[in-house]
Amino acid sequence: MKVSYSWLKEFLPLDLPAQDLAARLPELGFEVASVETRGPGFSGVVVGHVLAKEKHPNADRLSLCVVEVGSEKYSVVCGAPNVAAGQKVPLARVGAVLPGGFKIERSKIRGVESQGMICSRKELGLGEDADGIWVLDPAAETGGDVAASLGETGHVLELEITPNRPDCLSHLGLARELSAYFRMPLRPRPAAQIPAGSLSCLDVRVEAPGACPRYVGRSFEGLSIGASPGWLAAKLEAVGLRPINALVDITNYLLMDTGQPMHAFDADKLAGSIVVRFAKPGERIVALDEKEYALTERCLVIADQKGPVAIAGVMGGLHTGVTEKTKRAFLESAYFDPPAVRRASQALRLKSDSSHRFERGADPEAAWTASLRATELILKLCGRTAKSSEPLDRRAPAAAPAPIAVTSRRINDILGSAFDSGAVESALQSISAGFKKEGETLRFTAPSYRHDLATVWDLAEEVARLAGYDRIPYRVPAAVLRPSRSLPSQTIAGRARERLTALGFCEACNYDFISDRTAARARLRTPLLRVKNPLSEEYANLRPTLLVGLLGNARLNLNNGAESVRLFELGKSYVPAGAGATETAQVAGLLLGPMARHWTSPRGRRLGFYDAKGVVEELLAGIPGWEWAPFSGSPAAADPLFHPRASLRLRHAKGPLGSVGLLHPAAARAWDLEREEAALFELDCDLLAQLEGTRTRFVAFSVFPGSSRDLSFLVAASIRYSDVLAAVGAAGCAELRRTELVDKFTGQGVPTGRQSLTLRLHFGRADRTLKDAEVAAATERILAELKSRHGAALRS
Amino acid sequence: MSPVKRADLEAVYARLSGPLFRGPIASARTVEELEAARVEALGRKSGLTELLKGLKDLSLDEKREFAPKVQALKAEFEALVEKRRAELEAAADEASLQSLDLDLSLPALAPARGRRHPLAQTLDEMAAIFGLMGYSWAEGPLVEDERHNFEALNIPEHHAARDLQDTFYLQDMPLLLRTHTSPVQIRTMESVRPPLRVICPGRVFRHEAVDATHSAVFHQVEGLAVDKGITFADLKGTLQTFLQRLFGPKTKTRFLPSYYPFTEPSADVYASCIFCSGSGCPICKRTGWIEIMGAGMVHPNVFKAVDYDPEVWSGFAFGIGVDRVAMLRLGVPDLRLFYENDLRFLKQFDESLL
Repeated sequence: MKVSYSWLKEFLPLDLPAQDLAARLPELGFEVASVETRGPGFSGVVVGHVLAKEKHPNADRLSLCVVEVGSEKYSVVCGAPNVAAGQKVPLARVGAVLPGGFKIERSKIRGVESQGMICSRKELGLGEDADGIWVLDPAAETGGDVAASLGETGHVLELEITPNRPDCLSHLGLARELSAYFRMPLRPRPAAQIPAGSLSCLDVRVEAPGACPRYVGRSFEGLSIGASPGWLAAKLEAVGLRPINALVDITNYLLMDTGQPMHAFDADKLAGSIVVRFAKPGERIVALDEKEYALTERCLVIADQKGPVAIAGVMGGLHTGVTEKTKRAFLESAYFDPPAVRRASQALRLKSDSSHRFERGADPEAAWTASLRATELILKLCGRTAKSSEPLDRRAPAAAPAPIAVTSRRINDILGSAFDSGAVESALQSISAGFKKEGETLRFTAPSYRHDLATVWDLAEEVARLAGYDRIPYRVPAAVLRPSRSLPSQTIAGRARERLTALGFCEACNYDFISDRTAARARLRTPLLRVKNPLSEEYANLRPTLLVGLLGNARLNLNNGAESVRLFELGKSYVPAGAGATETAQVAGLLLGPMARHWTSPRGRRLGFYDAKGVVEELLAGIPGWEWAPFSGSPAAADPLFHPRASLRLRHAKGPLGSVGLLHPAAARAWDLEREEAALFELDCDLLAQLEGTRTRFVAFSVFPGSSRDLSFLVAASIRYSDVLAAVGAAGCAELRRTELVDKFTGQGVPTGRQSLTLRLHFGRADRTLKDAEVAAATERILAELKSRHGAALRS
Repeated sequence: MSPVKRADLEAVYARLSGPLFRGPIASARTVEELEAARVEALGRKSGLTELLKGLKDLSLDEKREFAPKVQALKAEFEALVEKRRAELEAAADEASLQSLDLDLSLPALAPARGRRHPLAQTLDEMAAIFGLMGYSWAEGPLVEDERHNFEALNIPEHHAARDLQDTFYLQDMPLLLRTHTSPVQIRTMESVRPPLRVICPGRVFRHEAVDATHSAVFHQVEGLAVDKGITFADLKGTLQTFLQRLFGPKTKTRFLPSYYPFTEPSADVYASCIFCSGSGCPICKRTGWIEIMGAGMVHPNVFKAVDYDPEVWSGFAFGIGVDRVAMLRLGVPDLRLFYENDLRFLKQFDESLL
């Protein structure tokens, strides 16, 4: 909210510089976004020298002045009695612009041409109450720019008012707050002086008293609505509002002054009396923003006998709005229930200064006082023939608010402070007149504009705020020391990070959203969780797999010149589950490119499937009960990303643990990774968290040296390594400790359709050294098994 | 005992103590030559060994007289061998040292080592501090319901406080992406009786246009302490301790009134600027302070929502933005860099041993 410092000073005798005030406001909970200085709201006004003053030939009360500016002389008609020859005066020549955008033009006044206007302070927006023209310092240099000589005339503070403090969304409200803070008396506006009403007021029926607990109305006739006077226009412009016409400006001025939103209807455009009710299905309204809104039964409206004329508390209707032609008007000043206004504002996606205040909570009392002030100003500024009716006040009976009983001790118990009772009482007294003391107990009744004060905690905050949070001590709570616990999921995440970074992976962090386009590129077939209100189509769905993000990251890094990419991510994947959503913690990884290019081995191996498989085995080290399984069976969300013939699943009795494999060629094409042999993995961390790891226990190793034998043989290329291992196992050698694949090749020297494998067989016993003959016999048995099962032929 | 025997031995001794063996040992040019000479002089079949064997045939007196001489000769030979061996090894070492010519300035063969994400590093560091202060981890779903994200946190439907947190909703289901980690407070209190101290670190979502300082996805560390007699002063002390651990022992803190629907009184917590130590710089907009956390005393309505009696229990809650702290500490100018996953970025944030 924009606050004019000079406007604020009308309520409070503040004398500190605006910058100092801005520095204090955060102590009360108001963030200051900016402090701006403003020049005067006019331009083109220069210092003129009145050479002569004569009576206007056709009007008694006007005079005709000759004003000199430099070498030019201007003939100007002036109505002020205090103008006199010899004075230095502000002269608005043709082309000058006064507050409210009022442009001075050549004009004839009572038949005599006026080449400008001699201005009062009021006309220049510099004051409200100056009578007559502004007589400048005789030493002022003729022709000098008046605005420039004034320099910066005001400060405007842009404040951020939290939603709990709608009462501070006005100059009066903020002044009230500062009055309590500085313990400085508030200067109230003088009571409105209104002649007795001579008209009858338009009738109002409130059919929804719950949503509209108070409705104050008043009718006006004989209006003549023009531009606002300079002081009013200047005030509105200072706080960023555009002057429209005197009547609308009065309501806007009082909105910023008192915080009470009001609305004026053109009474001639209203059909019959006013009803406050909820909209009926199918009703529509064109609002002042010139857009048409389809109303729902959730929208509270002001209606006449034909239909809605305003969205209550949000915006008036275009066709019943006040214009410069309006002669009769009806002024509404109401208190609407905050949820009622918010529901309509949300349903219609329409916000206004009015809805902003009503949905946070306006002041039911201000509905009355603001209406009085508006009436006074309308009668003053909207034509000499303006007349008003008596006010109408429709008010639903409301229970008086129950006072909050509190003691200083309770407040100190909440705050941990040591405020004495006098300080607590004086703080509470400064924010409400409804304050009584009964022994130790203080009975506090919140003022009508403070909807945020309902409990002792609220009062504790008030005391702390007014005294300063700085006056509460720092204390570290004494507590029974209980060792903190961490969750299995956190342990898994932490250890996965350690292992994967040790294996050369960097951690990625992607948004949880994917676009329809990305889902299509990945050929994801399972339904996705859709976001109802995405920021853009990039954020249309929640990701069902972390891998899509990593693929995009891989592409980005290759574009940026990276040769190899090793990335992992810990995060959630999301899939629909019935009427809800299932989110699963995952760890996913991607690797591609040369393993580690180095000058010692310039033709380094490229990362591939077996690296990914190894990473997964490293990750799952120490977790028993899982096994590799072929890529079939129940499909997973990420499946379309895996090459079905170059991927494996991890199977566990408790469910599928994840997958590892090469990127599907279609996905590789989609991410332009065809020239890379990207390998991927994704594991379900939530399932991992349910498993038991083995507690490591020492296993004695043999003190006797082992023996090893290499076995090189040819088998059919179609024989899988798992078949070879099965045959080795079937040989049943108790002394075989470990089988290692040390070489596998096809090509030169190997017949077509065959592959050469070299196994290194490690033998050993715990109780003695094996004899050569025993090792040779075991090796023979294994070879025999390989021959009989797979037709293996020993290589020489 | 035959005197001839004695004379034989004397002759052998005389022969051995001459240059016959000393020469080859001293002039051996290689370790192999030296070994041959050693075997000649001291080996099992050498004259010296025979001489030593022959000693047993001498009388006791002769033995007393003659044996020390033979032993001395053996020791002398051994010393000669060791001396020559040392000379030869020193020469070999020197040759070897001279022959190796490595270009030590060539690049190292660095083992591949990855990096934790800078946000994970920052979050873990914060969580570790609270862990030492006795706070346990708690977590909750990212896809939340209205009750946990809003209603139980004293943010009713049709309340303007919802404007503070622009929310992503899911289509066709009454679910949303959590806008803060505070729903984990509710979930924790629903399942545990007080007293308790938890932190709820994690990812949150805001429906905000993404730019250098705004992200639709970011991270928070939420904290909650509930016990009897916990006051606002305890909140101030706890957060000051935390911020001094995080930013350094000289860090000052400042608490200013604020508004969060789920705390009363509420505060924004400022730390003295880590760049200028409070004297004013562009990062802190010349105020000397950086807004770093939101905090407050748990609102009685929040306690009522989880069936805790607000007249018996009191507590405080706080939340800190991980991304913002990471930006400040790592000097990252644009929040989007955290989510682009450019390796040139990720690899910068190494964690040193110190």
